[in-house]
Amino acid sequence: MIELEEGIRKGLRIIPIVDKEIRQLVRDPKTILMVLLMPITVTILFGYGYGGKGVGKYPITVVDLDGGDGAFKFIQELRNSKMFQIKAIYKSKGQGFSSVYSGKVYASLVIPETFTEDLMEGRPTRVELYYDASNPSVAQMIMQAVGVVTQQFQEWAASRFGTFAITPMFYTVYGPKIKKIESFIPTLMAMILQMVPTSLISVSICREREKGTFEQFIMTPVSVFDIIFGKLTAYFFATISDATLSLFTAVLLFDVKLKGTFLDMTIVSTVFLLNSLSLGLLISVFSKNQLQAYQASIFSFIIFMLFSGVFIPVDVLSTEAKMIASFVPMYYFVTAFRNVSLKGWSYLMVLDQLAVISMFTFAFLALSLRFLRMEVT
Amino acid sequence: MLEARRLEEQPELAVEAKDLTKRFGKFVAVDHINLEIRRGENFGLLGPNGAGKTTTIRMITGVIKPSEGYVKVFGIDVAKERKKVLKYIGYMPQKFSLYEDLTVEENIRLYGRLQGLTGSLLRERVRELLERFYLWEFRRRLAGKLSGGMKQRLALATALVHDPALLILDEPTAGVDPPLRRKFWEHFRELNKEGKTILVTTHYMDEAENCDRLALMNRGRIIAEGTPREIKRRALGGDLVEIVFEGHLDPTALPGVKSVLEDSRERYLLIVEDAGKDLPRIVKKAEELGAKILVASPVHVSLEEAFIRFMGESE
Repeated sequence: MIELEEGIRKGLRIIPIVDKEIRQLVRDPKTILMVLLMPITVTILFGYGYGGKGVGKYPITVVDLDGGDGAFKFIQELRNSKMFQIKAIYKSKGQGFSSVYSGKVYASLVIPETFTEDLMEGRPTRVELYYDASNPSVAQMIMQAVGVVTQQFQEWAASRFGTFAITPMFYTVYGPKIKKIESFIPTLMAMILQMVPTSLISVSICREREKGTFEQFIMTPVSVFDIIFGKLTAYFFATISDATLSLFTAVLLFDVKLKGTFLDMTIVSTVFLLNSLSLGLLISVFSKNQLQAYQASIFSFIIFMLFSGVFIPVDVLSTEAKMIASFVPMYYFVTAFRNVSLKGWSYLMVLDQLAVISMFTFAFLALSLRFLRMEVT
Repeated sequence: MLEARRLEEQPELAVEAKDLTKRFGKFVAVDHINLEIRRGENFGLLGPNGAGKTTTIRMITGVIKPSEGYVKVFGIDVAKERKKVLKYIGYMPQKFSLYEDLTVEENIRLYGRLQGLTGSLLRERVRELLERFYLWEFRRRLAGKLSGGMKQRLALATALVHDPALLILDEPTAGVDPPLRRKFWEHFRELNKEGKTILVTTHYMDEAENCDRLALMNRGRIIAEGTPREIKRRALGGDLVEIVFEGHLDPTALPGVKSVLEDSRERYLLIVEDAGKDLPRIVKKAEELGAKILVASPVHVSLEEAFIRFMGESE
């Protein structure tokens, strides 16, 4: 007795819990299948369903009403951005519109008559974008890209002709049905990093309650902290592969061209994965049984999808809907991941979004710690 | 060391419950019970299913909180300082509660680690328990693939991994074959001899005879408490003795007789104050009265009979 008492160590009990959880996960073939196959399957389905191999650029047309050097330089700038494939340059707006209506291109950019003149004199001017709003996520990408090009052009022009502003104006046109898988990569990642981890971990505590193992488990000096962080760590290692798997599947199978570096995308994905797992734990703490936990994780997934901006950009939603979206971590992830993967931003440029996601993670974990009862019912 | 010494200084009581009550909504599962289990005792909690035994046990282990009253284990209030108490308690729940997707060895190891054992101490302890409970050759088998008896042995081994001073066993032999049940009780007796206090619940009355002291529970209350013999005496109001004789004898004239249960001419079943003291006096007196005593012996009363009487009284 005394010999044992001396050997008993105090402190955290996280490592044995991590060890146990991983052993249990690995022994359940259904879980492995879900963790490994679901991301690949979803990626492949998305790839085939949403256009397969793309050229990596958004096809647009340009209407050059100006015809001057300024317009020429701007068009060059659009080409240089490598985000657009300029299908045609027209001399009338009508031609531009019909190219969008007919579905040949996503958008038509109109450079007004006085563009070069305004430029030379340092007067504020504008460019007009007529885009296909039937595909909101692509439209948003184009708007952002045009915004970036305009910004760059403005900086160049300002250094030569003095300070002034070029405002991009956006107009909607309904038209084509073409879609590209690149723009769906953030959606895909959001789905995979939310659905599998959340539903997987959401049953972890209530399964223990349901099977009765919790009663024995809490007869040891484990703390609420040990349980929450032990499970979080184990499931993190089990599901981090999901992000990588789906990215590689997309890149290898569908020739997706992502601008982001692997490191940046991994950092953003990791932050969101931790959030999904924390949400799952919270669900598990509050669920009475496994079925309830599954339902809750699917329900939260649906809400997240609806308000994350993957179907309809959050900007165009009602004020109430925007309010809801601001409480949806997936919304911040989609924004951050879009910038990192498609625009090639560094993770440092999306720290705001990452901070908000981490705040939610922290809140979910704090609530789990607070409400996990070391009792049986 | 410090902890161990502190335990040595603890009072005589391993478990002390006072006015312990648990309500689930309007249903009172445990109703103001008082319990005192002394150190080193093999204490049995007896009663039919639904009597409140498991709820009582769960309050003692602290996995549910009492609605009223308190439980102290080695003088420590379980509801208030549960973590301190845990290292003294080894618990075997009624339902198999280990991980079925871990092997026998992994389960014991896991619990050893969770209890804070490491390195060679952990290895040795796991090996010792595997051998002691005949699990060594099955150590690589998944717990879910074990037979009922083996599962129970594994559960017992796991409960003992941190060498607890108090062993709490909730229906440890439920669903176990009779020969194995006996084997289990041998284990319990052995552990008890090693100085462990044992609190065991059962609804097998024959098993309960093995306990030093018992508490009978029914409908959330303790209806009787004491050694098996005391409980039987109390149920009948004394000891049961049988007298077979020749001749004539008035039972009420005999010393120590409290009541006559059966009167079939030359055979009486009597309840006396104390069989040990009264039987010789009865024989002497009967012979003085001119009857010839053929048999005079105490009659074995089963706990079951005693229990049924108590239940009848309490309703």
